[in-house]
Amino acid sequence: MIFSDFGMDTASLAGSLETKLAAVRGAGFSQVVISAADVVGHPGGVAAGVGAVRASGLRVTGLEALRDFEGLDGQLHAYKVDIAKSMLEVCGELGGNLLLVEASTSSHADPSADAIGRDLRKLALLAIPLGIRIAFKGMPWSRTVRDFRAAGELVYDTGSPNLGLSIDAFDVLAAGAALEDLDAIDPEQIFLVQLSDYMWQEMRSPEEQTSTATHFRVFPGEGAHSEGLARFVTKLDEIGYIGDYSFDVYNDDYLQIPPEVVAGRARQAADWLGETVLRRALPIPDTERLRLSRGSE
Amino acid sequence: MENPLAREAVAEPLNPLGFDGIEFIEFATSKPQALGGVLERMGFRPIARHRSREVELYRQGSMNIIVNAQPADVPRTVEPVERPIVSAFAVRVRDADAAFQRARELGAWEIPVRARAMELNIPAIHGVGESLIYFVDRYDEFSIYDVDFRAIPTVDPHPPAIGGMHFFGIVQYVGPDRTADWFEFYSQIFGFVPLPDTVRFGIMPKGLLLQSPCRSFFLQLIEPDEIARFGPAEEHLQRIGLGTPDVLATVGLLEKRGIEFLASEKVHSSDRGALTKSTLGSVMFELVHDDPKPSAARK
Repeated sequence: MIFSDFGMDTASLAGSLETKLAAVRGAGFSQVVISAADVVGHPGGVAAGVGAVRASGLRVTGLEALRDFEGLDGQLHAYKVDIAKSMLEVCGELGGNLLLVEASTSSHADPSADAIGRDLRKLALLAIPLGIRIAFKGMPWSRTVRDFRAAGELVYDTGSPNLGLSIDAFDVLAAGAALEDLDAIDPEQIFLVQLSDYMWQEMRSPEEQTSTATHFRVFPGEGAHSEGLARFVTKLDEIGYIGDYSFDVYNDDYLQIPPEVVAGRARQAADWLGETVLRRALPIPDTERLRLSRGSE
Repeated sequence: MENPLAREAVAEPLNPLGFDGIEFIEFATSKPQALGGVLERMGFRPIARHRSREVELYRQGSMNIIVNAQPADVPRTVEPVERPIVSAFAVRVRDADAAFQRARELGAWEIPVRARAMELNIPAIHGVGESLIYFVDRYDEFSIYDVDFRAIPTVDPHPPAIGGMHFFGIVQYVGPDRTADWFEFYSQIFGFVPLPDTVRFGIMPKGLLLQSPCRSFFLQLIEPDEIARFGPAEEHLQRIGLGTPDVLATVGLLEKRGIEFLASEKVHSSDRGALTKSTLGSVMFELVHDDPKPSAARK
């Protein structure tokens, strides 16, 4: 694993899209997960947002996030298909090849595995002509797909080649999934791993879990679960995962401090994981160091 | 709370659409006459023109080729440029609208309806790159060309095929590690099945071969070679395969008409197949030994 395996998420940063991208780039990252709202909400329009991302030179790890897609029927389903198509098109324009999809938390959704599998397969097929992969992610407050175990079973049963998983460290640290369950997952089916920590030792209620997940996440190495995160990343390495890591840190405090400061903290997290936790035999190659020391080109 | 109209999974028959071969293959080009010249040397004859668009129909035997010079009016479709591009193919099915709705339900992208007054609306979905796939169910006694095309006077509307040539397949270039994706696409929507590596046709045995449910049409998916894997991935329909019962005899007939075939150490005409030299920057045809089969779905 080398430093370029790690990327940031525009949702972690305050400011305009251009400011966020410059901060990510300035901290030495070469890839970024783009929050769809940052592109379509660009004051210059979607084309300007797309242009800013392309001009940044950053690789787009993926676009996030399609929510509450699966299990709906009739008009609701047709509506969500339109939303999905539009997001896929934006993802394609960005030059991205991954769309993050979060398991439905809607009470209107049919929670049966058949309904969910059918809709995920459809979504994956929609993504094929555009060359986009679908990274499906369990949500702790979803009715049925709460973590990577349930999501992994669905992905496996669906059998679409471009449907895989996004695994969130939060599942293991906060929602109590066992690390050993990763053994049952084919590393080829993991399209993205998202990393974050949080400050509390334990969470007292599901409500606290939800609010923590959406407002109080911190970068790996900054929170109370460094050891758990280290075990998580080491385990992924053991099972043969060689894909991207993204910091999905959603924190209201970070949106009130300069994005360069937040990106600097992300950089420390990447260094800690790459050099201390994984102690990779591969040091950052000299050319990579050179490029980083020059900053953005 | 059961909705009786809820979409449900039902076991699919082997040929869910009543797939019955290829109705036409379309090229887009801004220089339709140059391509027309190549097609005529290949034995196709211009037989009709579209009533309102810059579109021509060429035919020989059972094969229809559309040459489209009309500027693109739908996003993500081919804008005609000088270099001809295989821009669409049309599959014959039992019920075009049912096939189209089923494809949409499975996750195909439909293109907006664009028929004008007195024109047929031929349903279509997006295929690889900027190409389209049409669904056609009028191909027996009444054809799609009867409505939208005007016959060119004094021309035989059914010119015979040189050497018994017929549509055999299309070669599709796909990006690195994309074969599985496209197999999913063609198997889900059309019922194509993969052929084992031991089954090969012609002289270009690469990639994955998919067979249509009517068993008469093939798609060959080819990923880029070693080095090219790291270049920009361009996915498109690359060339048309034509079946003929006697490849070398057909090669002889076409050479007399001015068609040149590749004759290198690696690629040269044989009784298994042959490949024409690329012309107009991109156009090539592959001949494949194949005896024409009677149409499967038609009575």
